[in-house]
Amino acid sequence: MVFLVILIASFLLQLVLPWWIIVMISFATCGLIGKTGKVALWHPFLAILVLWTAMALYKTLPNHNLLVTRVAQLFGLQAWWWILVLSSLVGGFTAGLSGFCGYHFRKAVLANQSNTKL
Amino acid sequence: MFYLKLPYGTTSIVSIENSEFKTHMRNKLKALICVIIPVLLVFALNTKFGNLLPLLKFLNPFTGFWQNAERLQTKKNNSLALKGTNEAVDIVYDDRLIPHIFAKNDHDVYFAQGYVTAMNRLFQMDFQTRYAAGRISEVVGNKAIELDKYQRRIGMVYGAENSLRGMMADPKSRAMINAYTDGINAYIHSLSAAQIPLEYKLLDFKPEDWTPLKCALLLKQMSATLAMGSTEFYMTNIIKKFGPEVTADLFPDYPYREDPIIPAGTSWNFKPLPVPSPPASSPEIKTGKVRTNILEDGIGSNNWALSGTKTASGYPILANDPHLNLTLPSVWYQIQLNAPGLNAYGVSLPGAPGIVIGFNDRTAWGVTNVDADILDYYQIKFKDSSHQQYWYDSQWKNTSKRLEVIRVRGGKNETDTVVYTHHGPVVYFHKPAKPVRLSDNVPVGTALRWIAHDESNELMTFYYLNRGKNYTDYRKALTYYTAPAQNFIFASADNDIAITANGKFPLKYKDQGKFILDGTSSRDDWQGWIPAAQNPTVKNPPRNFVSSANQSSTDQSYPYYINWQFGSYERGKRINDRLTAMNKATADSITVMQTDSYSIFAQDILPALLSRVSPGKLNATQKEAFDILGKWNRSYTARAVGASVFELWTKRLFFDIWDDEFAGKGAPMQYPSRDRTVELILKDPGSKWFDNVSTPAKETLDDLVNESLKYACDSLERKFGPIGKPWEWANLRQTHVPHLLNLQGFGSGTLMTNGGKGTINALSGANGPSWRMVVELGKRPKGHGVFPGGQSGNPGSPFYDDMISTWASGKLYDLYLMSSAADTSGKIISHLTISKK
Repeated sequence: MVFLVILIASFLLQLVLPWWIIVMISFATCGLIGKTGKVALWHPFLAILVLWTAMALYKTLPNHNLLVTRVAQLFGLQAWWWILVLSSLVGGFTAGLSGFCGYHFRKAVLANQSNTKL
Repeated sequence: MFYLKLPYGTTSIVSIENSEFKTHMRNKLKALICVIIPVLLVFALNTKFGNLLPLLKFLNPFTGFWQNAERLQTKKNNSLALKGTNEAVDIVYDDRLIPHIFAKNDHDVYFAQGYVTAMNRLFQMDFQTRYAAGRISEVVGNKAIELDKYQRRIGMVYGAENSLRGMMADPKSRAMINAYTDGINAYIHSLSAAQIPLEYKLLDFKPEDWTPLKCALLLKQMSATLAMGSTEFYMTNIIKKFGPEVTADLFPDYPYREDPIIPAGTSWNFKPLPVPSPPASSPEIKTGKVRTNILEDGIGSNNWALSGTKTASGYPILANDPHLNLTLPSVWYQIQLNAPGLNAYGVSLPGAPGIVIGFNDRTAWGVTNVDADILDYYQIKFKDSSHQQYWYDSQWKNTSKRLEVIRVRGGKNETDTVVYTHHGPVVYFHKPAKPVRLSDNVPVGTALRWIAHDESNELMTFYYLNRGKNYTDYRKALTYYTAPAQNFIFASADNDIAITANGKFPLKYKDQGKFILDGTSSRDDWQGWIPAAQNPTVKNPPRNFVSSANQSSTDQSYPYYINWQFGSYERGKRINDRLTAMNKATADSITVMQTDSYSIFAQDILPALLSRVSPGKLNATQKEAFDILGKWNRSYTARAVGASVFELWTKRLFFDIWDDEFAGKGAPMQYPSRDRTVELILKDPGSKWFDNVSTPAKETLDDLVNESLKYACDSLERKFGPIGKPWEWANLRQTHVPHLLNLQGFGSGTLMTNGGKGTINALSGANGPSWRMVVELGKRPKGHGVFPGGQSGNPGSPFYDDMISTWASGKLYDLYLMSSAADTSGKIISHLTISKK
């Protein structure tokens, strides 16, 4: 569920908003419906990993990887797919960490609320 | 015990309350950290740190670089509705992504030119004009401040503002420049963050609106590239050290060997204005201490045209290849412009409306650089260090001040005050702390008088050339032109050919500006102008061809002074030799000639040098090199080992001859010209200049010739190993086409092509023929051309560098001058319709 929500929301919102909207989406989604820390870490990570890899491939394959090959050389990398790995992993990591933070943010806030009720 | 009577649990209640408070705080802290981490992440991955690009801003596939990867398959039909056009415009793209614009009025054709040029070249246009305006610090931060200051201080913006006044004064050019600007802006405003060119994402900045001033800045930058070279600082140092006699001997006002652009003996059918006479004495010049700059033979170009009597078709053929720094995106952008009264094809400068080099149904035209002396430095005598007044014609005259505000990315604005005299700006009062390469030849404390500061309207020249029908139209078009002065070559279907060294030339006394001029007297001011009609020109000369390759404009009978030095004669001589011998010329024979790599310099000097070598004293490698040179056909072909040895040998020889006297320790100088050196070697081998004055022994020419040959072989051996394949010329020359920002992976590889400096195919490291064009005039003209790059400036486009291999192989593409958007002669791959919104 978390995976799908982040995947779909990130796809739609990134069409009009800057990339860092994925941080907010992951944070909010895991903050609202993240069940465990594990889910909150891995679902956003995988969602963005999949989404960014798919989008990058969608752009680069019809280009015969012309541009990404040049960018790889600019980064001093041998093969173009290192750039893909780098983009998706850093993107996924950012989302995962944000989800994880969102989940623990909720836990922290909820814990305080229940404490106050006590 | 009292304390035991305390109610049980009190402490623990306190401690529970306390621990609850702690947990509360800990949770708050935890919540805070959970917010801070993502915020920091976004900041770290979305910000440019020094040279490090904003990682995820660049790498994310929704707005990052991936979005610039274009599909190899282009869409066949596109349509757009835009506010700026008056009527519908049809643009068809041929198989090299060259737009053919069909509009129904002048406004729409230039609007569309602006739009499609921006579509392919926005970053280049933006960056080059920011560079011209001294605004690079806005993009890259304080490392560009000295460069920006230099651009401001030589008056680039001042000149562009003056030029713009000229362009805006004429209703035709005003309409042209405004429509072009609107077209560019229509494109800029249509861009989303994902669509902006890649380089913006790399450098992390945004496109800004285009303005007419940017068009003017671009033309000023062309002047700076082609006509900013100045040797008066060096020459002044030389005359101070060696005196006028030696200076006149080693730096003569006309070369020993010449083959001028206007054929020698051409008569001047005008009554010249009186030429001003020089003042009696030259001023005492203070010169600063900077390092020596060894001048290389400047940026050159070739053009020529044959009359119908020398061609197979009976109609003229015109050829042009301007040599510039080669970059990706390419310097030029190919385009066809069609509107009522206009149907022209050729190359444009991204950022200026119209076509600079090209052809239409009736005529063809092209340009090479004149090398006119249109830039002078004046020694200024200031009253005091406030620089508010300077001495001029026996009184104190006020200066004016111009404040240049340089915005610096990630830093405070820097305000630079530039003092202007009536001559122009004082470029430097003291050398900059971190000198930029270009500032080397600027004498401290002098004012710069430069033609590029004047009001002008070059656009009109191209406006009329693009629409020209015959020789009369060509001559009329040239009268509008100021700078940078060009040899405008022309051919028409009426079987006229012509060439004119054209620009606004100041009326000067002979050699005025060879040395730094006296700023205290009006005698040294420019004394008016050579009338445009009296610029050196020739129409249909008896030899049945016209040509230019940056050599002297005329023989010594021309009544006016244009410059005392020009490009050396070798390319011009080779062109003229070949054209003289040529009959029944075709586009093919002319195309082959454009990549000719035969060296006249080697022809002139190699036999004399070889005869002075003592083979007995050479080692095995040197001996082999000597044998190779003996058999070398004097062509700079890619595989010629002889060319590599000859190149380094003569370079070292010239160094050996001149560096002991002209190294200019403390006061920069230049070496005497190649022409004068060749003359000394051939005609005065016992000259005292061959002795190295820094050794007690007396060296002879033979000593130097042998030393330099050994030196050349040794350095080749050190660099490439034993003599053989790695010594080949193309391997030494290392021609390549780098990206404008020199980005690794974004340029071409090393190109194994023929050619070298001083040959028709004048290639060096990253400089050479930036556009090759051959046009066969006739009932229907046929054009052929190529440039080393591609139409698209996007490194993610298949059209970014698709023409390089054709260019490197010396072949040309057919250019389609289409008659309508439905014309099937062009190989059309897509169609863009712009309709009125």
